[in-house]
Amino acid sequence: MTGCEFGESPDIELYFYGELDAASRASVEAHVRHCAECARRLDDLETIRRALASRPRVDAPPAGDWSGFMSRLTFRLKAEATSASSTSASSWLPPSGGRKTSLHRAAPWLALAATLVLVTIAAVLTLRSRTIPGATQPPAATEPAQPSAAGGDPLLALSGQHLERSKLVVLGLATRDPVHTSSADWEYERQLAGSLLSDTRLYRRAAEQRGLNDVARVMGDLETVLLETSLGDHTDPESLERVQQLIRKRDLVVKMQVIGGSGI
Amino acid sequence: MNGGLRSSTDPDLVARAAAGDPSAFQALVERHRAMVYRVAYQFAGNHHDAEDIAQDVFLKVYRSLDRFRQDAQLTSWLYRIVMNACIDYRRRHAPAGWAPFTEEAETRMLNAPEDGPGPEDAAYGGELGEVLSAEVSRLPAGQRLVFTMRHHEGLKLCEIADALGLAEGTVKRQLHAAVHRLRAALTIAKVTTGGRA
Ligand SMILES: [Zn+2]
Repeated sequence: MTGCEFGESPDIELYFYGELDAASRASVEAHVRHCAECARRLDDLETIRRALASRPRVDAPPAGDWSGFMSRLTFRLKAEATSASSTSASSWLPPSGGRKTSLHRAAPWLALAATLVLVTIAAVLTLRSRTIPGATQPPAATEPAQPSAAGGDPLLALSGQHLERSKLVVLGLATRDPVHTSSADWEYERQLAGSLLSDTRLYRRAAEQRGLNDVARVMGDLETVLLETSLGDHTDPESLERVQQLIRKRDLVVKMQVIGGSGI
Repeated sequence: MNGGLRSSTDPDLVARAAAGDPSAFQALVERHRAMVYRVAYQFAGNHHDAEDIAQDVFLKVYRSLDRFRQDAQLTSWLYRIVMNACIDYRRRHAPAGWAPFTEEAETRMLNAPEDGPGPEDAAYGGELGEVLSAEVSRLPAGQRLVFTMRHHEGLKLCEIADALGLAEGTVKRQLHAAVHRLRAALTIAKVTTGGRA
């Protein structure tokens, strides 16, 4: 261990990984024959290699199911293609048409509301960290929260607004008559759904990261419905019926009522 | 699905995708997503971040289809993109001014690991492979990426350095620091598990 010429030099692992030229390789080999410490370093590397090789390699999403990955990628590619011509469609709600969120501390769903605050804080932090380094303003996509709502808590108001909007969209989708929905209306719903998608994903991930499984599940269901809605290429009754089936199967309207608490 | 696309070469698919053929791009993604996902997962350690990174990679590929040189290896190009996507992803989730390959990051061998259980806790759970892969996930991001690319993906250090725009010496030191930490974890694990390795 003492007086070893290789000491803490990286040559032993460079040798192990085949990164040395012939001359250096020969000198390491000669050295290792009479230096127990370096021989042990090599042994350790071999042990590490074998131990790590015994671990399963993860090279696909859970259960090897790529479908969600591929649809989200398709969605992002389409968004990229459209945003190349027009800028973000994140502020879809006309200011005058905005509903006041009626979230307040005395509501009976206080526990869930508190949960949402946590989720929102996480989501806002994530959003911030995605903007230019050093920026302290939340990006425009989150929209300024209304200070009047939620007892002045802008974070609570933010998640409340998102839920309110999402509920309106889901309700709109659930109650439309597939046969008598015009292409223009359907197209409008699709745009709304698309504009809510990234924030929904953000809230879901924030909830997951904190182990808030109920909120994460509802957000996940909402995400699926929004994705299915915004992805469809056709404005035909069948696509709308498919979305409606999804909403029914997942009981999404009721779940969102529970989480949002305030009713529509 | 499409025999024609399946048997197409990578450069062929890239050319067709660049000309606006979405099925060619999809075929490219399907062909290479496992490799991209594998690297992303090795780096991130969980499915959510791995998906984000992998998606970033394919968006980047999509944006730069027309810059791909027909004589280049698509996998080398992808490796380059995925390595940088890992670092970019980590940077977006790090405090301002975070730098993955500084001298300071290199010397953080034994302190300031990423979050997660230490080798003692992991060793208590058992398998050596588990202990060591947990330790890999705790390596500082720069070390983790270099180690993953060299150890698991078999890239040469000069290729890694080139892809990341670093000097080869920097990459060597990152690998050295990573190995140093893994050996320390191995020693602890051997002691904790009574030497059965
Ligand atoms: Zn020696």
